[in-house]
Amino acid sequence: MDKNAVVEKLIKLLEGSLGKSLVLSKDSTLLGDAGLESIQVIEYLCEVEDAFDVVVDEESLSHVSTFGDLASVVERISSE
Amino acid sequence: MSLFSKFDAAAALESTLSSMPVNPTSIVISKVVSASEAIVNGRSTIMAGTNNYLGLTFDADCISAGQAALAETGTGTTGSRMANGTYKEHLQLEDELAVFFDLPHAMVFSTGYSANLGILTALLDADDSVLLDSEGHASLYDGCRMSGAKIYRFKHNDPEGLAKRLSRLGEKAKDALIVVEGLYSVRGDCAPLKEFVDVKAQYGGILLVDEAHSLGLYGENGRGLVEEYELKDDVDFIVGTFSKSLGSIGGFCVSKHPQLKLVRYASRPYIFTASPSPSVIATTREALKKVQHGQGLREKVWHNAKHLYKAFAELGLDIGPTVSPVIGVSFQDREKAFSCWQDLLSLGIYTNLILPPAAPDGGSLIRCSVTAAHSETQVDSIISAFKKVCKERNVGRLN
Repeated sequence: MDKNAVVEKLIKLLEGSLGKSLVLSKDSTLLGDAGLESIQVIEYLCEVEDAFDVVVDEESLSHVSTFGDLASVVERISSE
Repeated sequence: MSLFSKFDAAAALESTLSSMPVNPTSIVISKVVSASEAIVNGRSTIMAGTNNYLGLTFDADCISAGQAALAETGTGTTGSRMANGTYKEHLQLEDELAVFFDLPHAMVFSTGYSANLGILTALLDADDSVLLDSEGHASLYDGCRMSGAKIYRFKHNDPEGLAKRLSRLGEKAKDALIVVEGLYSVRGDCAPLKEFVDVKAQYGGILLVDEAHSLGLYGENGRGLVEEYELKDDVDFIVGTFSKSLGSIGGFCVSKHPQLKLVRYASRPYIFTASPSPSVIATTREALKKVQHGQGLREKVWHNAKHLYKAFAELGLDIGPTVSPVIGVSFQDREKAFSCWQDLLSLGIYTNLILPPAAPDGGSLIRCSVTAAHSETQVDSIISAFKKVCKERNVGRLN
């Protein structure tokens, strides 16, 4: 799966979780553009882990701001 | 960016809070009248937002024990146990904790926060993995972060989520530390400990349970949720605090593992902190006896908890499914939560206002707690105040 496909899957996952359509891209931020509170981000990240069958440690997430950043982390951990 | 510019966000938050009619972070209790009542903003107020679950802060025997220790042993130890010496009372409390929990090893810390920091930083290092409940207390997260271990969160109270993550860790799972709490302090829900133990049995791992809020409330002897579910042999470490049901201050860890003795040599938050003062140790020891023989107190707090929970359910408030002495009333609208909290305070009911990001699910909460010290009349006053406020603010089923 290439990075754009990962981003697309991440956004669809969030849409499913929130039950609404969102206008987001790889440069959209989780906290700002997606409007998530920090606690909601944690719940969402648990869903991301399940969807990609990975475990993501907190340190890897510390520099994640956008969906593109998150896609890079998921790709890296998936390939390890 | 200057050294102080990082406080800009805090300054903005303070400004917003200060502009509110009542700043929820700056409540001043001018006089504590009893374990359940205080003078707040100049008026008599029922304290329905404490952690004083057994109401022991004004217990006559605990006060006498503290006063005697102050007179006999002085105000403080002035240093750490490793550098400045252990008082015999520290050892007596550790022995009594071991007996109380029916476990061979016990260790006392100066606060509950430092107990979690002290244990987690000693148990974990950068090569380890720790799995944490997403709603775990800040002290658990801080301890794990200080240790440098890889931190993996799982959804709150989700044994299946824990199992999936342990499964994905592969060989590392058997040495991973799993960290959960007993009773969660915001919503008042309990960990499904039996299910977590089953997951541990399947995948491996070391289980640490923080009984900060469940100590004194659960189990035949008040040891906590581990005792309630008869899981003593399945849990590796129990941590907790003296500042809630025991009405004092301090923290502890008890364990079946002899390595707990060695934590003293490896735990910087233990080594470099002044030890608990004699009066604190004395009141804690007395309170521990009260908990051990505290069936009456437990019956009282649970009676109050059930009464309050039933009333809140009848009001149609958005509360969790678990009856406990802590009830979190959820609000989707933070302004409404604030208004209700303020109205309650003006009616003489002190509760805790919890706003995002502290509240679970990104919502807002009013946390209400009852204790063994609350009288029937006081619990009825809490209910009446909620009823009035919810009706006026269009909250719950009455509208």
